[in-house]
Parts: sequence; C-alpha cells; structure tokens
Amino acid sequence: MEKILERLAYCVEFGKINLASPYPPDMRGQDGADELTKKALEMGVPPTEVLNKGLVIGMGKVGVKFRENKVFVPQVLMSAKAMSFGMAHLKPFFNDGSVVRKGKIIIGTVEGDLHDIGKNLVSMMVEGSGWEVIDLGTDVKAEKFVESVKANPGAIVCLSALLTTTMVNMEKIGKAVKEAVPGTIVAVGGAPVTKDFSNKIGMDIYSSDPQGLIDLLAKLN
Amino acid sequence: MNSRENLKRTLNHQQPEHLVLDFGGTGVTGIHCLAVKNLREHYGLEERPVKVVEPFQMLGEVDEELREAMGIDVIGAYGKGNLIGFANNECGWKPFTSNWGQKLLVPEDFNYTMAEDGGLLIYPQGDMSVPPSARMPKTGYFFDAIIRQEPIDEEKLNTEDNLEEFGEIDNETIDYWERTINQLSASGKGIIASLGGTALGDIALVPGMNLKHPKGIRDVAEWYMSTVMRPDYIHSIFEKQTEIAIENLKKIYQRIGNKIDAAFICGTDFGTQDSTFCSPDQFRELYLPYYRRVNDWMHQNTEWKSFKHSCGAVESFMPLFIEAGIDIINPVQINAKGMDPRHLKNTYGKDLVFWGGGVDTQKMLSFGTPAEVKKQVLDNCEIFAKDGGFVFTTVHNIQANVPIENLAAMMDAVKEFNGKS
Repeated sequence: MEKILERLAYCVEFGKINLASPYPPDMRGQDGADELTKKALEMGVPPTEVLNKGLVIGMGKVGVKFRENKVFVPQVLMSAKAMSFGMAHLKPFFNDGSVVRKGKIIIGTVEGDLHDIGKNLVSMMVEGSGWEVIDLGTDVKAEKFVESVKANPGAIVCLSALLTTTMVNMEKIGKAVKEAVPGTIVAVGGAPVTKDFSNKIGMDIYSSDPQGLIDLLAKLN
Repeated sequence: MNSRENLKRTLNHQQPEHLVLDFGGTGVTGIHCLAVKNLREHYGLEERPVKVVEPFQMLGEVDEELREAMGIDVIGAYGKGNLIGFANNECGWKPFTSNWGQKLLVPEDFNYTMAEDGGLLIYPQGDMSVPPSARMPKTGYFFDAIIRQEPIDEEKLNTEDNLEEFGEIDNETIDYWERTINQLSASGKGIIASLGGTALGDIALVPGMNLKHPKGIRDVAEWYMSTVMRPDYIHSIFEKQTEIAIENLKKIYQRIGNKIDAAFICGTDFGTQDSTFCSPDQFRELYLPYYRRVNDWMHQNTEWKSFKHSCGAVESFMPLFIEAGIDIINPVQINAKGMDPRHLKNTYGKDLVFWGGGVDTQKMLSFGTPAEVKKQVLDNCEIFAKDGGFVFTTVHNIQANVPIENLAAMMDAVKEFNGKS
C-alpha cells in the first residue's frame, strides 16, 4: 500500500499524467497518476490516504522545488495536470464527505484583469496541498466574491492581479468581502503586488510565491 | 549630431552627445493611448482623438508633434498588419469611444461587439463571422487573447498548424516595408523595425489572435507544457519558422538596406518576478540555436542590431542572450530579482545595450511621488548611460494609470541629465 502511494507521489512530482503520456521520457510506458490513483482506490487504500500520502506529498515536493528554482513553470503545470487526473478519481469521495480537506479557498483574478497563469498555478498548488479550491476565473467583480464567500462560510479569499492598473481593485474587492462577511481572511498576490501594498490596503496575507501561500495557509489550520 | 547618429553611437557603446530617448518605437516601449492624451495636454498640443497604433495593448500614436515635444530620438517601423490580423497602417480610420470614455481613432477593421458583461470582443482580421480572438474587460485598458484551442490529438499534431502565421512574405508586404522605411528615414531619427516572424514562442502570439481558426498548440498552459512534453514538436516549429524568417529578412534587406538601426526580433518573456520560465539549460537547448541563426545572419549581412525583449528576472540569462548574438536587451525590469542596474551595467554593459530600465513602471512610475520618480531616473541614467549602451525608456509601456505629474518628473529628470552631460 505504501509503495503505490509513493509511486503516485513520484508521478505527481515528476508530471507523469497517465500511461499514454510521453513525459517524463524515462517513465514512458509506465502507469501515471491517473492509473495509480484508480488502482490504489481499488486496492482499498482509504481515499484520504490517497490524497494526503500520495497526491499532496507529490505536489508539496514540486512546490518546494519551484520556490528553490529547481523546476520551472512547465514542470509545475505538468505536475498539476498529473494531480488533476488523480483528483478526478477522488471527486465522489469529496462529494459524499468521506474525504475532508483542509478548508476552502475562493480564488480569482480581480475585476479588469484577464491574466491567469499565476492564479492558475497558485490554484493548482493550493489544491495539491489539500485545500478545496473554488476558482471564480478571471475579471471577477466584488459582488461575485461576496456571493461566493456567503455561500462558503469560513472560506479564505485569494485575489490575484498582474497589472498595475488592476491591482488597485484588490482594495475595493477585499473591503467589500470583509464588510459583507466580517472576519473573512483575504490573501493577495501577483507580480506587482508587495507586502507593503497588502498591508496598506488592509489585507491579511501576502506571498510572492505559491509555496509561501501554502505555508501561510497551513499556519491558519 | 542628429538623433540617428546619436542612436548609432549608443548602439556601438560609444558616448552619444545626449541621452537617446525612445517612446513609441516598439510595442514594448510604447505609451497607452490614455497616457498619450495626458502627455499631449501637458505639452499644450492640439486636443484631438489619439490614434491607436497597436490595439492589443491600446498603444497610442506618438506623432511628430509629441516626438518633438518630448525630445524622442527613435521612430518605430511597424508592420502593415497588427496582432489581431487587420491593417493598422496605410488603412482607413474610424472614431471609437473607449470604456473609459476617451475619444480615439481606430483602424477601419477594428470590429468589435459588446460582451454581456460590458467588455469588448474583437475579431481576427476584422471578420465578425468567426469567433472573437481577444477580449477587453469592461474596466480594463487593453485586450487579452481568447484561447481557442481545438482538442489535441497527439497522433495528428502537425507543425504546419503552428506555422500558419509564419508564411513567406509577399511582394505587397515587401513594397510596404520599402515605402515605410524610406519615409521614416528622411526624419533623421533612429529607426527600430518590428519586421516580424522571428519571435520564438512568444506567449502573446501563441494563441494566434490574428488567425480565424488557429490550429496546433494555442493554449498558453499547453504551450508551456509542450516545451518539456513535446520538445521535438517545438524544435520543428522553431526550425522551420527560423528558416522562413531569414528568407523574409533577406528580401526585406534587399529593399531597405541599412536604413534601419535595430530590428525587434523577439518578445518572448523568459522572466517572472523573481525567477525564470525555464532553466538556463533548457534555454540553451531549445531557444538559443535559433536566435543565434537569425542574429548570425543579421550580423554577417546587415548593420542592424538585434533587439530582444524579455520581462522579469533574467539576470541569469544575460550571458546566454549574449551568446545568442543579441545586441540589445529590453525592458530591463530593474525591480525584478537580481536586476540591479549597477550590477547589470558592470557585468554585461560592454556586450549588451540596455534599451529600457530608465524607471520602474510597476511601482515607481504609477505609484511613486514625482520627487521619487525624478531621483530614480537620474540615478539610473547615471549608471546606465556611462560609455553609451543605454537608450532611455521606461520598463515596458507607459500604462494608462500613470499620473501625468510623474511623467513630467521623468521628462524633467532626463532633461536635467542631458543638460549636464
């Protein structure tokens, strides 16, 4: 049992999606995260363990390597894709409540901003660390964030912006969320965003990289 | 010494008579149309609708009046068509009012519809019978590509699909370049030309906004993954693209000769805020040979200098850019990790011209005070301008929200620097 979870974590870490995937070249012809997740569940491994001892371990290693510049955006995307294939098999267990995740985050790029590479990376890596992610997409207005927070009490809101012209909307959205549901924790990130800016607009969490956000979220639990 | 001679000295790492300025020379050293309006007002120029010379980023025309008012030394030669695939030069113009209420002039094929949420949808080649290829949010200031990725069948992937936009240049286009460059060269200004065809995997171009039915790999994430998952496919695109590009450049060169000073060869971003998009090893293996081929041809056959744009923290790539034969680096994102001006100048200044890095645009120009802007401009000029090799411009385009007071402070600082040099 341990062995299959180790192999699953390895597949996520190195971006091996499924049997058909040619990447990485040295794993050609081998099972990927897709088949191994399915097999682990068929073998009777509890889904919570498949998540936490397989997928999350693999994604965690990628996050650390990304922060240390040992892997780059393409490799992280491959890992996230491998993870998503595994996650698809766990979906029924999330839906029936037999797998409990660390909490919920609501994420989106702020109003006016369509740039979502960074948001997607954060989204995939946070999901890979065991959180449920509600991705509202791009160009998201304050009302939509508020609506989602009301529907998901206790969720943490993550706002992303790439542009200097849109990062100013973080303040408006963050304040609207906090006003509608007092106590909501709001995190901000994106290329032009800094810790000083986050403090200035009264937000709670800032990180310059996805793994940093994961570490900060872990402290909340 | 006129502007062009000063630019030539600068590009040859010799001290020019005055600091050379570029605003509007390329799609990465441009000015948003709203900032153009504000600058025109600041300089007391006639109030009239600004022409949008690059609709994807909504860059405004820096015309002769504004060029003279700002003391700009460089003119950009842009292609006839734009990134959305319709004519943006030698075309008709029509009025357009933006979502922020600015009266503008846009090319006659700037055809759009309003999305349900109030955003704008624009159509490839102006053809409204096909799905839109880019969208501007209601509260946004420019467009972003709409991803139109057809399902990928690994067995049927064909490099020709990703080469649709990189075809052999036709006679009409060669005539256009000859006319345009001849006209611009009479100005005495330096000329940088965006001749096209040489950008390797520029993520702004990958979605194929100018194509009616883009095929191949068009999704941004899929493209990034393809660089590791399908390296043979990417190599074969770059191989063929480079071959076509060099043949096209040869034809253009036969007509325009050395009337241009620099060619904008590629806008692919290799840097993030604090790292790179790929490892140096991957750059060396996947990109460098093709850059080298284009630059070798250019250096062996022309007097043009090779201009490469890459945002982000690319300090570790500078030796590779030099090895690839790149002469000029832009935008010199001085607030990204490792991009300290003094370090860059001291380490790479003999080999690379810094075309940018005059003032940070992410924090300083948009959110600093005029006094802070002025100080940073003077400090950066002091560092970068020593012994030539520096074209003053901001880090990337001047954005819509930059306060005019800060632009005025920037221009005052340049004037002050030129006065004492």
